Amino acid sequence: MSYHFGRGWSKWLPYLLLLPGVFFYFLIALGPSIATAVYSFTDATGIKGAPMHWIGFDNYREFLLMGRASVDNLEALKRTLLFCVAVTTVQFALGLFIALIVNQNLKGTNFFRTLYFMPVILGVVIQGLMWSLFLYPLGGPAAKMLALFGMRSEFLGGPPEQAFFWVIAIQIWANMGTTMMIFLAGLQTIPDELFEAARIDGANTWQVFSDITWPLLTPSVNTNLLLNIIGSLQAWQLFLVLVGYRNGTQVLGYLIYATGFGQTSGSVSSSFRQGYAAAASIVLFLLVLVIGMAVQTFLQRREERILG
Amino acid sequence: MSAPTAQKFSSRKIRWEILSSYLVMIFFALLYIGPILMLVNASLKTMPSFMKDATSLATELHFQNFIEAWTKANFPQYLLNSVIYTVAATTVYIVTAVFVAFPIARGYIKFSGAVLTLFVIAIFLPPALIPQFQLMLNLGLYNNPIGYIMLFIVNPIGIVILVNYIKAVPKELDEAAALDGCGYFRFVLTMILPLIRPALATVIVMHAIGIWNELIAPTIYLTNKNYYPITRGLIVFQGVYGSNWPTLAAAVLLLTTPMLILFLFLQRYIVSGLTAGSVKG
Amino acid sequence: MSKKMFSLLSLLVVFATLLAACGAPATPAAAPVEGNATEAPAQPAEKVTLRVLVHQNPPMVTFMEQFNAKFQEAHPNITVDMSVVNANDLSTVSQTRLSANDIDVLDIFGFSNGAQPYMKQVDSPNWQQLIEAGLLMDLTGQEFLKNYDPAAITDAGSYNGKTYAVNLGRVIYSGIYYNKQLFTDNNIKVPTTWSELVAACETLKAANVPCMTAGGKDGWPIFVGAYGLLGSIYPDQATLVEGLWTGSIKWNDAKSLDMWTKMQVYARDMMEEGASGVAGDAAPGRFASGAVAMFPGGSWYAPAIEAAQPAFDWGYIPFPGSDNAADNQYWFGKYDQGWAIAANTPNAEAAKLYLAEFSDPASYQTFVDAVGFIPTQPTAKLNTKIGAEIAPFLANFHVGYEQYWIGPKGAGQFANPWASYFKPFGTDDDPQVLADKVQSDLQAGLDAVK
Repeated sequence: MSYHFGRGWSKWLPYLLLLPGVFFYFLIALGPSIATAVYSFTDATGIKGAPMHWIGFDNYREFLLMGRASVDNLEALKRTLLFCVAVTTVQFALGLFIALIVNQNLKGTNFFRTLYFMPVILGVVIQGLMWSLFLYPLGGPAAKMLALFGMRSEFLGGPPEQAFFWVIAIQIWANMGTTMMIFLAGLQTIPDELFEAARIDGANTWQVFSDITWPLLTPSVNTNLLLNIIGSLQAWQLFLVLVGYRNGTQVLGYLIYATGFGQTSGSVSSSFRQGYAAAASIVLFLLVLVIGMAVQTFLQRREERILG
Repeated sequence: MSAPTAQKFSSRKIRWEILSSYLVMIFFALLYIGPILMLVNASLKTMPSFMKDATSLATELHFQNFIEAWTKANFPQYLLNSVIYTVAATTVYIVTAVFVAFPIARGYIKFSGAVLTLFVIAIFLPPALIPQFQLMLNLGLYNNPIGYIMLFIVNPIGIVILVNYIKAVPKELDEAAALDGCGYFRFVLTMILPLIRPALATVIVMHAIGIWNELIAPTIYLTNKNYYPITRGLIVFQGVYGSNWPTLAAAVLLLTTPMLILFLFLQRYIVSGLTAGSVKG
Repeated sequence: MSKKMFSLLSLLVVFATLLAACGAPATPAAAPVEGNATEAPAQPAEKVTLRVLVHQNPPMVTFMEQFNAKFQEAHPNITVDMSVVNANDLSTVSQTRLSANDIDVLDIFGFSNGAQPYMKQVDSPNWQQLIEAGLLMDLTGQEFLKNYDPAAITDAGSYNGKTYAVNLGRVIYSGIYYNKQLFTDNNIKVPTTWSELVAACETLKAANVPCMTAGGKDGWPIFVGAYGLLGSIYPDQATLVEGLWTGSIKWNDAKSLDMWTKMQVYARDMMEEGASGVAGDAAPGRFASGAVAMFPGGSWYAPAIEAAQPAFDWGYIPFPGSDNAADNQYWFGKYDQGWAIAANTPNAEAAKLYLAEFSDPASYQTFVDAVGFIPTQPTAKLNTKIGAEIAPFLANFHVGYEQYWIGPKGAGQFANPWASYFKPFGTDDDPQVLADKVQSDLQAGLDAVK
């Protein structure tokens, strides 16, 4: 590509200005990640001054193959995927639906947008507190509503599948606002004339959506899908705030943190296993990489097909 | 009564659409307001009455909780810290990111394809808690706001988003600007930035949210109480006064209110940032 | 062009200087030379800030704040900077702050889970990892250690013959708090056997009073609440742990099955509806509100109960897990909080002084009175109400199972005797099926490390 902004030394300006970003990237992201990969072949504890030994693939063998624990790890892996699929699809669909509604020229839409975006502003700790209170099984509002139908539930403290379901729901509740905002931005870039022309041609709501809105939203669709998928594969802070480290609800991100810092066994703190945790995070990395790359390629092809 | 004209029919149909739109909006609004109202109610109860029945309407209006929450923790400081971290890190990040994304999108640097791939792969990198911790330790930036901010000045996904948007900006613009004598640095800042405002706003919001929500990093990196961001401050408050839901609820409300007011003011700018640069009009 | 170039460069320079200037000043690396070990700590000459880390426990934190104020008054050149973390985060924060040399005095739980010869391929517990990395100071021979029971020093703070921590007290977790008023109102005698306990719960339920509460939200309080069931069946818990490792005891043998059957009754019938939503530290408040008749939980909750409702009258009894009343006269517990000093602290003298003043018998007495611990100083008295309740069976104190237990690598996630596996907290509702699952999860680990 030809460069227009001067000759001689000023040709190097793009490189120079690129440097800080790339430097920080190597220093803060790539470097430590490579160190993690190295750690995964050791019995590192993360404690300064503690001896560290090269143990080859032992951590991987333990994580993926050893005894019943590996089965539980694979369960956590499956659960991570399930969480990702559930959160991504629902949040994506709901975010789009809501964006279409609040994008109409109606009174009060600004208020509603703000409201839906509110959890994002409040942050994960407050989200967790609010919902623990809302789902308080000792006469919290949700429990009272269920009681009207003669039912009861322990919500976040009940059977793991139930707790897991609630975390999914709350994750969607909390982050739908971001998805909606990104869609709104995309919707605003579609010229009104296109809609008017379509209406004059007699297109119905569905036709307008599928022929105009959807294809022209492609950049927002891509951004949202990628953000949702990666975000949900790595998200676990709501689990920490809402249910803690409990059998049958762990996702990989939480598992990695808990094993690395000896927080796996409730009342007694266990040993620090940074090497093992590193192996687990490399597994998570590969998983996210494969899925992310596949989605990214698919989305790019689609974008090229639609937008040329 | 005369037969309904086409005009009337369509207006009636529109009214039905509006009605259902409002129903949907209100339904979801309840889902978002409900938990807040719960919090308000809990914050006005005394501890024993909360423990007996968590949701019955607060009758005693125990405002003492708010005073207690206010005096027991340094929330204004935490809130200020959170704002500083978020704004500082996001600013540094976005400036560096634009200068990474632009030449990649334009191919103004060699191997721009390879560099982009590097960033795409980086999106999926696992959080490297311990090596990062050791890095900060060796840089002497442990328990230091600057070090904490540094943790958040890299975010590859934003760069990928920016590259995609910049690609959509016509390249003829570069040529024309260069002919007019506009330099590279000024061109990016004054021409490109406004054109990619929707993408910028998306990336800024996304990145800022991540910092705002960070829970683990402050636990590991910041041990000085004066450096705590709001997440850490709340977790510690919850830990120390955990059994006391009403006070906790009051604390949360004290924090929520300024945040929401701030957002109401900023919302105009966020939304206009997201929507500016549209081809509308 | 060059002008812009210049402005950009200066920007970068400013940024770099900022980074350099704001870097934390290097901590003085010189490790203080250990003087004569039995020497009393001297007053530090310069102004120092003593960084202290404690875990969250409201009465203890309150006591520490008062103690720190007095300490600073007596030693104007020492400032105490105390940080409080959740018990869950204590090990994480200890590790990072010790690595960063950012701590002088830290709270450390009594040493437990030592690796035993019969345990194969287990990792050292984290306190041992810290000692082996040379991060904890050797306190052997310090004058203030003499104030404590030598057995407690050896059991809960020593490793390889050296002392690294001083333990501040034992706690019990196999007991049940009961509401005396509700017991009288419903004509219930304090239960001493399992069937009496079952009957008491039935009477209470019939009177529309929920029987028990516990902090189910945190998970482990449900297990700890049922401790008496485990304890009455396996009084010697060290033997239990060895038996599980060697295969002479199984979680699905007849004896264990009896435990699981009772645990199901405990989780399903005795716990109040909604106990799973109560946070561990909210449970005492729930009990003190008078809404529930009993609260199986640790002795450390007593100060919280008293703080919530000072006028409330309660008692504390061993959880009757067996139908033979004689089998129920045990306490199970552990060594709780202790103090350790960072090996690399630049403020070693101030740190030792801090522990020495803390260990002063008068000061220590106020401490145990505030937190309700069973003292590890032989001269201290059990003044508290909880102390009086505990006293009758104190001779039968045993250290609990999970203080010995280290699970084999490869064991499944259900390899523990936890009542919370049962509905409504978990998914199981058949004791036999669960017992088999627990044993097979454990067996998978034992087979994997063979």
